[in-house]
Amino acid sequence: MIEQFIHTATTSFFLWFDHYLLKKGQAFSNKTSKFYHYADDRLDDRFETFGSPYKQWVTDSSISGAIIPTGVLVNGSPQGRNNGIIFDFDNGRILSSGIANTDSVSGTFAVKDFNIYFTNETEEDLLIDRKYIANPRVYSPDENYINPYDAVIPAIFLASATMTNDPFSFGGEDTTKILMKAVVLAENTYQLDGILSVFADSKQEVFATIPFSGHPITEYGDIKNGTYSYDSLSSHYKTVNPVFFVNDVDTSKLSDKASKSITNDLYVGFIDFEIHQQRYPRA
Amino acid sequence: MNNFKLPPDVQKIIDVQSPKYLRRDFEKIVKEKFEALKTQMIQEFMAHPITQELLDGPTATNISGTLGGRGNLFSFIGFNSSDKPIDDILELLNDTSITFGGDIPSGNKYFVSLPNSKDIFDITPLPWATGRSWAKSIETGLSGLGYYLFKQSAASRSGEAIQTSVKLVDGLKFKNTTYISAFINKYKDKFSKLQ
Repeated sequence: MIEQFIHTATTSFFLWFDHYLLKKGQAFSNKTSKFYHYADDRLDDRFETFGSPYKQWVTDSSISGAIIPTGVLVNGSPQGRNNGIIFDFDNGRILSSGIANTDSVSGTFAVKDFNIYFTNETEEDLLIDRKYIANPRVYSPDENYINPYDAVIPAIFLASATMTNDPFSFGGEDTTKILMKAVVLAENTYQLDGILSVFADSKQEVFATIPFSGHPITEYGDIKNGTYSYDSLSSHYKTVNPVFFVNDVDTSKLSDKASKSITNDLYVGFIDFEIHQQRYPRA
Repeated sequence: MNNFKLPPDVQKIIDVQSPKYLRRDFEKIVKEKFEALKTQMIQEFMAHPITQELLDGPTATNISGTLGGRGNLFSFIGFNSSDKPIDDILELLNDTSITFGGDIPSGNKYFVSLPNSKDIFDITPLPWATGRSWAKSIETGLSGLGYYLFKQSAASRSGEAIQTSVKLVDGLKFKNTTYISAFINKYKDKFSKLQ
């Protein structure tokens, strides 16, 4: 199946959401840490895997102050992509075909305060009887790599809920309305209130339509061509595609009474976005 | 046969003067039509399957079909057994009123204050996330979180005899359905055409 409008919408929304939170909330912190070797049976034998204790790393160079890694120290010597290193930003690790599993690896990177995931799971599946691992907040002597692929909190799970077309003007132009939902899993009230406030203020923002081909990440989680700036990407696509408009935002928290019923000690919130775009769906 | 046309200055006088003389009769007739339409609106709301199912409380059957015929909306949304979620909507609909004001050529203006969808969404908070509206969620997608949180809460009181009138059903999934928005749009159109 070729890329459909909803695929483009979710891609565009995901990239904007990530950028908006990092920029408005400055929701990241720079870390320096050792990387720990482990085996990943989802990867082929070419790669040695070295994981940091944190994920996800920030990829967006338009976020002022965020350190976007382009190299690591291997036995004290800097190495980068030219040495065959792949940065897996989503899983907070590097993949290398040239580093021995006994080598000492360390690096500096910006870690998101909130990991962002796109999900097909229902809210009850996300919250009921599910355990999450958390990014460590302070250094520990027992420090080790963070498991790949598992969702890590604090996190925000995004999902598209509905899409409808309403007539807008003569000639077949409709307003396409998309409802996007976000479930926020925070570790404390300060985090939760902060996220809800940032996005409550996003009402009437616009963001660029970015197709799959414009997505900045490779299948290994690295940045295509080694550099990514949401501001540049967005500016480019705003000149060639119509924009999305954030028509409405509703924020809410899981009530205290309800929170007592979930097994995780989490602070839960919900953000519901109504996104609009005028387009010709039948053209 | 010749068509008789009033001179323009005479027509103008009629246009200006007639509303004053016709107002009382106009208001009486329009008000009767308004009251009849308002009664019809409330009856239709009360007869809606969603409304009926919520009125029947935690022991209702899923007459709305939104849960595939299993469970019931009242429990799925996560209301307490003493909650009366329809009352606030009904009160708002009952507050629909008509006022008259301003003359137009050969007629009078009327204004109907009918709640809009957002007004209703604002007074129908989900019991477990008050920033969301259950009435809106019925149209856009209702999370089963309230229902499963209730299950968790009931199950956690192990060792006690749990008195509950809610029959807990596994695997419930909600199907979106039109409710308030379509209903309000329909009556907004009808009230605008009172004659």
